[in-house]
Amino acid sequence: MNKTWIVAAETYLRQVKSWSFVILVLSPFFLLGISLGVGYMSASTGSNQQRIAVISDRPALRKQFIKQNKDDIDAKVQTVSAAKKKSAKNKLAGYLVLSTNQQRVSAVYHSDDSIDSSLKIQITSFLGKSQQMLNVQNAKLSSKQLTSLSQQPVFQQKIKKQSGGSNIAKIASFWIIVVMIYMIMVTYSSVTAQEIASEKGTKIMEIIFSSTTATCYFFGKIIGVMMVILTQIVVYLVGGFAFLEAAMQLDKIKDLINQNASLLKSIVGNLLNVNLLFMFLGVVIYTIVSAFSGALVAKAEDAPKAAQPAIYLSMIAFFLTIPFESNSEALVAKILSYVPFFSSYFMPLRIINGNASALEISISLLVLIVSIGLLMTYISRIYEGLILQTDDTSFFRRLRRGLSYK
Amino acid sequence: MLEIQHLHKQFGSVTALDDVSFNVEDGQITGLIGQNGSGKSTTFHSILNFLKYDGTIRWQNKPVTESVFDRIGYLPEERSLMPKLTVEQQIVYLARLKNKPAREIRPQIDNWLEKFAVKGKKTDQIKSLSKGNQQKVQLIVTLIHQPELIILDEPFSGLDPVNADLLKNAILEARDQGAAIIFSSHNMANVESVCDRLVMLRTGELVLNGSIEEVRNQFGKSEVYVTTPWPETRLAKLPHVVQVTHIRDRRFVLHLDDPTAGPEVFEQLTNGKYIEEFSQQPPTLDEIFRMKAGIDHE
Repeated sequence: MNKTWIVAAETYLRQVKSWSFVILVLSPFFLLGISLGVGYMSASTGSNQQRIAVISDRPALRKQFIKQNKDDIDAKVQTVSAAKKKSAKNKLAGYLVLSTNQQRVSAVYHSDDSIDSSLKIQITSFLGKSQQMLNVQNAKLSSKQLTSLSQQPVFQQKIKKQSGGSNIAKIASFWIIVVMIYMIMVTYSSVTAQEIASEKGTKIMEIIFSSTTATCYFFGKIIGVMMVILTQIVVYLVGGFAFLEAAMQLDKIKDLINQNASLLKSIVGNLLNVNLLFMFLGVVIYTIVSAFSGALVAKAEDAPKAAQPAIYLSMIAFFLTIPFESNSEALVAKILSYVPFFSSYFMPLRIINGNASALEISISLLVLIVSIGLLMTYISRIYEGLILQTDDTSFFRRLRRGLSYK
Repeated sequence: MLEIQHLHKQFGSVTALDDVSFNVEDGQITGLIGQNGSGKSTTFHSILNFLKYDGTIRWQNKPVTESVFDRIGYLPEERSLMPKLTVEQQIVYLARLKNKPAREIRPQIDNWLEKFAVKGKKTDQIKSLSKGNQQKVQLIVTLIHQPELIILDEPFSGLDPVNADLLKNAILEARDQGAAIIFSSHNMANVESVCDRLVMLRTGELVLNGSIEEVRNQFGKSEVYVTTPWPETRLAKLPHVVQVTHIRDRRFVLHLDDPTAGPEVFEQLTNGKYIEEFSQQPPTLDEIFRMKAGIDHE
C-alpha cells in the first residue's frame, strides 16, 4: 500500500475510533431523539387535557363534527355529566354542546379557560357550513338555484420566479448549509491543528520522516481527515434519512411532515446537490490552513490558538454571507462566490436562490479544487521544515525559520 | 558503506558542522561522540536528509533519498511514540511505513518483546507502559524491519545496565548481520565495549576518527596503572611522572610525560622486587574525550 494511504488510513481509523468522534457524530441524533421523545410523550400525556368533548342531542351533527375534528375531540364522552366529571379531573379542556333550535344551529362551549383560537375557528366554520346546509334544506330550492347559491369566489396567486412560496425553504437551506460548514469546520480545524501540533511536540515526526517524505505524510494526513469529514457527512445523511423514516412511524409527526412535504423536499433538494460538494471542500480548505497553523506552534498547548486563523477566516466569511442572504445577486456576493475560503459560503447561497449558472458553478468549483491542490502542494513542501523545528521563539521567527529549514 | 564528505551546515551565524568527513562501513559499529551541541544530531539529521547541507552524503554510492528510507532504522535522541496506539499497532504502523507488510511483522512482535524483556502486552496502549519500556518499544520499531543502515541517537540514555546490555546485544547482532551502524553516546564505556570505530566532534569539527585502538594509541601509552604500598607523595617523585591519580586502596594511575619512560619507572618502582600490578596503557576513551573536549576550556 502506498505510504500516503497508510498514513491516511491510520489518521482515519484513529479519529473514527475515538470516543470524541462517536459523540460528535451521534450527538445531533441523540438531541433529535430526545426532543422527539419528549415532544411525543408530552403530546401523549397532554392530549386529553387539550381535547374537548362534544355533546349533542343530534347524533348526526355530533358525528359529523367529530369526523372533521377527530384529533381535538375525546369521542368517548357523550353526556354532560361525564364531561363535567372528566373536566373536574383535568382530563378534558372543556365540552361543547351542539344543538339546533328553531332551524338554528348553536354551540355552547363550557370550560374554565377560553377556547383555543384554532379550535374556535374550526367550530365557527363547522357551524357556518351546518347552518348553510340547514338553510338550503329549508328553502327547498331548485337544483339550478342551489347551483347558483353554491358559487364560490375565486382567489389565485401568480408568483414570479417561484420566490414567494419557496422562501422558507431557501432561508432554511441557507442556514443549514452555512451553520453546517461553520460547525464542521470549527471541529476539524481544532482537531487537525491539535493533532499536528501534538505531533510536533514529539520526535515521532523524525521517525516518520526517516520512513517517508513530508509531502507523502502531509497528503496522507489531510486525506485521512477528509475521509473523517466525509464519514461524518455520510452518517448525517444516512442517519437523517433513517431518523425521518423512524419519525414517520409516529402519526403526529407523519402528519406534520406530510403537511410540509414540499418545504422539506425543497430543503433536501438544496442540500443534496453540488452544495454538498462546496460544503465538503470548504471544510477541507479550512482544515488545510489549520494543519499549516498547527505545524507553526512551538508546543502542543498552543494548538487551540493555532486553529484560530482558520476559525476567524471562516467566521468572517460566515458573517459576510448574512447580509447577502436575500440579495445574492449583489456584485460582492458574485465576486466572493469565486474566492476560495468564501466560495463555500457564497456559491451555495447563489445556487439556493437560483442565480448561478452551471458554468459559474463549475468555474467556482474548479477554482476551489485547484486552490486546495496548490495549497496542499505548497504546505507539503515546507511541512518538514515547519514540523521539525521546535524552537519556542516568536511566531514569525518560527515561520521564517520553518520556511528556510530545508 | 555510508560516506560523509566535507559536510558543512550553517544555522544563521552558527556553524553547526564544519568540513566533517568520515565513513561508516557495513558490518561495523561507529560511535559518534562529542559534547552537547557538538553537531552529533545535526550530522544524523543531515544523513537522513532532514536538512539542507553542503557536502556529500552517500550510502551504497547513492544519495540518501526516499528510495533508501526503507532500509534505514533511526532512533531519535528524545523518545517519542503515539501514546494512544497499542504496542502492536505502533510497531505495525511504523513498520508498514518501512514497506514491511503487517502480516510479516505481526508474528515477530512477541519475539521482539521477549528479546528486549518488555514488561507489558502487545495489546497495551503505549501510554500505559513505563518510560523504559516505551524506549524498548521504540528500539524494536527501529530494528524490526532489519535495516541495513542503523542510526541511533543516544540509544543508551535512560537505560539501566541490564537493559543497556540487551541493547548492546541487539546492536552487535545487527552488525553481525552486516548492517552499518552509527550511534552517539556520552557513555564512553558503552562506546568502547561495542564500537569498532570512533568519530569525535567538537563544536562542529571532526577531532577524532579511527578504530578504537588507533584512537587510543594516538595518545601513546602515557598511563601506568600500579598497585603498590607506596604513598601518593612518593609516587609523585618518580621520574617522568607528572600526575598521580588515586583510584582506590593501594591502586594508582601514574601519568607520564614520556610514554617511552615506562621501563625506567618500572625499574625504580620495583627495584627488582615483586609488584602486584604494573600496567602501561594508552588513556581511556573517557580521558581522551575529556582531553579533547577540554581543549576549549584551556
